[in-house]
Amino acid sequence: MTCIEFQEVLPDIMEGQRNAEHAAHLQSCSVCSGLVSDLNLISRQARLLQASEEPSPRVWNQIEIALRQEGLIRQPARDRSVVAFPRRWSPAWLLPVAASLVIAFGIVVYKGGPSQQQVADKAVAIGVSAPGAGSGDDQQLLEVVGARTPAVRASYAANLQNVNAYIRDAEQTVQNDPNDEEAQHSLMAAYEQKAMVYEMALDRSLP
Amino acid sequence: MTDARKPQGDRLSESEAIERAKQGDAEAFQLLYDLHKRRVYSLCLRMTANTAEAEDLTQEAFLQLFRKIGTFRGESAFSTWLHRMAVNVVLMRLRKKSLPVVPLEETIETEDEAPKKELGAPDAKLAGSIDRLELQRAIEALPPGYRSIFVLHDVEGYEHNEIAGMVGCSIGNSKSQLHKARMKLRELLKTSRTGRTERASKP
Repeated sequence: MTCIEFQEVLPDIMEGQRNAEHAAHLQSCSVCSGLVSDLNLISRQARLLQASEEPSPRVWNQIEIALRQEGLIRQPARDRSVVAFPRRWSPAWLLPVAASLVIAFGIVVYKGGPSQQQVADKAVAIGVSAPGAGSGDDQQLLEVVGARTPAVRASYAANLQNVNAYIRDAEQTVQNDPNDEEAQHSLMAAYEQKAMVYEMALDRSLP
Repeated sequence: MTDARKPQGDRLSESEAIERAKQGDAEAFQLLYDLHKRRVYSLCLRMTANTAEAEDLTQEAFLQLFRKIGTFRGESAFSTWLHRMAVNVVLMRLRKKSLPVVPLEETIETEDEAPKKELGAPDAKLAGSIDRLELQRAIEALPPGYRSIFVLHDVEGYEHNEIAGMVGCSIGNSKSQLHKARMKLRELLKTSRTGRTERASKP
């Protein structure tokens, strides 16, 4: 058997279909035996790449946000009232968290059928007050999340940065045209997303 | 059942987590994600050779899974179900981008893509070792069609008949493309080693 003949049937040989003639050629030819041993080595080493990489924490955060938005995650039936928390879990940062949730709730309630002007007025009013308060609250939130689960602090910071940018853009659009219905919806969605990030952090920080 | 899927202390088992995820339990979703994220993400990364795209596809695969988790009845292993879903998500993306999922048998390969034949020539072997990074880079440099088949067979462990069904080619085509992919990888690995040796020998 020549090298050309051997290498023509090499795909089958690599699949385990080796006969005496192939084995004899492998014994006598260092080029072909080197080739077979390299291909086997590549194949063996490749298996070590399975499950070898870790996705960044932001992948789970995005999944969790989507699951909550789609209603696939439903809240566990536990008492979330501030008064029920142990003393160490009712620091000042819970107040802005609660405020954010209330704002989001307010926006959701307004979705029920207000006039366009009412929604726009409300959105603009929230828009004026929220970003100023937001940066300090965000910092507090990150500190608490970082103290509890340091690994996810960076992804929360990135999420907050994204959602704040989203809020700023939406606010600007609403201010430019308070009758723009799509912009009003975007602003509501932006606040809902921010409330969701806070809610996730709250879940993570509970004992 | 692997160790990762056994309950550890208060931790849920995989089957308990599946049942609780069906009820909308956030922790159960996260546990299922944690159990399988590395395998799914690694598959996406190897197939696309792009970190951002791999993250996006991982997210999409898990979301598809979680949306359908209510229909999971446990007839097949959960991991098999998830990994097959992840493969489909990746292949769908490659097709959308008009990247070849598998080169056709009759496709004329460019000179750069086709592995070179080395019949009877004195041959430098890979000397019995390939490090992980070296192999990763070589896989990234493979043409997309070769890469899909190689990753599905040699990394993920699918059989040719399964691959043929997933990518829509014949079993024979899957076998021959896998062989070409391995030959191309060998060539890429040898080229990268030669380049490194030359750089190291320069004063």
